[in-house]
Amino acid sequence: MTKNRLETRPQNRTETWEDLARAANRGDSAAYERFLRAITPVLRSVVRARGGHLGPEQCEDILQDVLLSIHLKRQTWHEDAPIRPWLYAIARHKVVDAFRARGSRINVPIEDFLDVLPTSEAPDPLLARDMDRVIDQLDPRMADIVRGFGLRGETTAETAERLQMTEGAVRVALHRALKSIAQLRERMME
Amino acid sequence: MKTDAFLSALAADTLPRATVQTRMTRALPVGLAVSVVALTFIWGIRPDLMTAFMSIATMKTIGPVVLAALAVPLALSLSRPDPSSPRSMGNALLVFGASALAVFGAALVVGGGSALLEALMVPSLLVCFLSIPILAMPILGAVLWALSAGAALNAGRAGMVSGLVAGGLSTGVYSLYCDQDALLFFLPAYGAAMGFVAMLGKFAGQRVLRW
Repeated sequence: MTKNRLETRPQNRTETWEDLARAANRGDSAAYERFLRAITPVLRSVVRARGGHLGPEQCEDILQDVLLSIHLKRQTWHEDAPIRPWLYAIARHKVVDAFRARGSRINVPIEDFLDVLPTSEAPDPLLARDMDRVIDQLDPRMADIVRGFGLRGETTAETAERLQMTEGAVRVALHRALKSIAQLRERMME
Repeated sequence: MKTDAFLSALAADTLPRATVQTRMTRALPVGLAVSVVALTFIWGIRPDLMTAFMSIATMKTIGPVVLAALAVPLALSLSRPDPSSPRSMGNALLVFGASALAVFGAALVVGGGSALLEALMVPSLLVCFLSIPILAMPILGAVLWALSAGAALNAGRAGMVSGLVAGGLSTGVYSLYCDQDALLFFLPAYGAAMGFVAMLGKFAGQRVLRW
């Protein structure tokens, strides 16, 4: 598997996932988004290969769980270590967890992650339903902030202005919202 | 929500998060301090502490603290989804445990079973079993709080090692009060109490270290 194939921008062919993740840790949101977009197709293939019988929508729910965990646990990656083993360990943990919660026990051999190629580079057309249900349970302002970034592609400054908040407060609110989403998802699965 | 949209929301959250190490450095001294203060004011420090430190009884403090010091890096490693060299750290703990067991065995051979019973049949045994887990609570809380920022693949195991950290330190703290200096008392009593705290850590870890 070549990294370059997964890059979303041709001009960044030399950027490795590690480079992007390190930049993300310095607060570079654009690099972080490129990182997330690069790993998503790989993770989606793994989830679908294992859980095809669940249907594409549920697979997309599981994929979003995996991505949220990668986001919330990103500080456990040590910058001097290769990122793939870390990424695959998190993905494996969450995929096994998700399938268990859905009543089917599975094994996810690590080779799944090594041989897989992204299914498509095209933007993903699928809706995941669980996430919307969870966002609806958030405090309305938090839900609004998450949707603002996600659906309307707002920047921090735009959200801050629309909601009459400081940019710092928007950042903290988004941060808390994502944490709450993870907790609510956990509860849904129990 | 489409995954694509969800990614944009994730990417917008670039607030830095404290690492497990940072949280450990912040919380562990606080937990330990609470335990030491509680011992000083509720239990009291043995009046002959200085004399005791000149004897074999100093091992009552050093041994458990060394155990805790060996368990901290293992706990940190196990909090990562891609643990680095957990086996060698685990082996260090095993070597420590085996050495303690060897010393206990030697003392038992020298003293005999009756000496063991005599050493353990003291009211201090109950005090020891109750005090060590109580003194361990603030430390266990601190360690588990630190590790909850991590992503342990095996929550029970990470919790158990957290329990060893807490049990080791609280036993070291308790030893400043305990005036039973017989090897045949403190090796089995402290060992059992630390094992109990490790079990508490395991059960707590299974709950709080899941993600």
